[in-house]
Amino acid sequence: MDDTRQRILEATYACVARWGLAKTTVEDAAREAKVSRATVYRAFPGGRDELITAVVAWATLVFFAKLREQVEGATSLEEVMERGLTFAHRSIVEHEVLQRVMQTEPEKLLPALTFESTRIRQGIAGFLSPYLEQRGLADGVDLAEAADFLARMVLSYIAAPGRWDLDDPVQVAQLVRAELLAGVVTARPGEVDPS
Amino acid sequence: MPIQGAALRVVDDENAAAAGDAGPDAASSVAPVTGRRSASPYRERIIDATLACLARHGTLKTTVDDIARGAGVSRATVYRVFPGGRDEILGAVVDTEMARLFSALGVKLGEADDLEDALVSGIVEASSRLRNHQALAYLVEHEPEMVLGHLAFDESDRLLGAASRFTAPFLARWMSPMEAGRVAEWATRIVLSFAVSPSAETDLTDPVTTAHLVETFVLPGIAALHTAVAAPSIDITPFADRSSGTERLSDTD
Repeated sequence: MDDTRQRILEATYACVARWGLAKTTVEDAAREAKVSRATVYRAFPGGRDELITAVVAWATLVFFAKLREQVEGATSLEEVMERGLTFAHRSIVEHEVLQRVMQTEPEKLLPALTFESTRIRQGIAGFLSPYLEQRGLADGVDLAEAADFLARMVLSYIAAPGRWDLDDPVQVAQLVRAELLAGVVTARPGEVDPS
Repeated sequence: MPIQGAALRVVDDENAAAAGDAGPDAASSVAPVTGRRSASPYRERIIDATLACLARHGTLKTTVDDIARGAGVSRATVYRVFPGGRDEILGAVVDTEMARLFSALGVKLGEADDLEDALVSGIVEASSRLRNHQALAYLVEHEPEMVLGHLAFDESDRLLGAASRFTAPFLARWMSPMEAGRVAEWATRIVLSFAVSPSAETDLTDPVTTAHLVETFVLPGIAALHTAVAAPSIDITPFADRSSGTERLSDTD
């Protein structure tokens, strides 16, 4: 991504954080980025609509880049899942811009976010695949199928924890070993109790 | 002229009663089709006419006049049954369709001979109904924000709570109520994930594919959950301090 584009997206994000998605205009983004309107339109020919879609995609990417960073040093698949779920859950709860926009204008945010979700899911599946291979799949489990299933479940739990308290390490460990990995990887006796 | 025809009309007294048994809070989140509000014979006709309108024009272009015409009643009748007009009708449509879906699920889950059968037939039933719902399909295509609001973050938690509170008692034939709640929620997640982003490889309206998924991923997970829950060193007290109010463990005990 070139510098101008990156600068405009960061500026747009700052505007959205201040005023929300609906009230952020091309002028606002241009002023914040200290570029001309024409420059914004050159980078985003679709104008405001394209800019908004792009900023949601960009913020999502930033989020998952941080998530990746957070789990990068993990040594086992279990640890990747645990650290990832815990960090993602906390980041969403504490993500002020996301929370505010969800409260005030979900109808603007959600279609863009849903549009991103396929790419995010493929990203998570791709990230988990080497860990799955290293960990060893249960008999008859297909790698691509398992990675897709796990990515779907990870997205589901971080978007809505439901009955699970993802701030509690014991519950996270249990969730990972039961609903996420039990059917996917080979059993590892002695690892049932996560505490 | 209900678009879904008789297929959606599987609500009968027995199932409505089952819905009532799902938990103390079930009635508030899973509005029963029967009950006080259905006193008007026109209520269901208006709702079905609205569904037909939604499948053709979505919410934005559907007027009370369209609904009245479709239902073969006067505007005045529509407003007598739904004084709040269009918005109240749309709310009633959502409640009714949820209740119809849950009733159909109840039939499948009630008929199941074993846990795998219950999971497979429940997932297939829910997935098929979501896929074949013409009004829902129109809205996803043309007014996604109408649908997605229910599938994200807090709203999604509420939906998971409602769906799993209804289905958990059926699964409790094979496991503890607490495990049943978790498994019901898990199955709901699976249905929603594949409904929102369909997969070319995994079609959950197909019983064979679904049976494979249940055998591969879900049944081993249930066994592991059971082991973990049975271990005295592990204390899981779900939802005890959650303020969303969607579910408390004691509800299903």
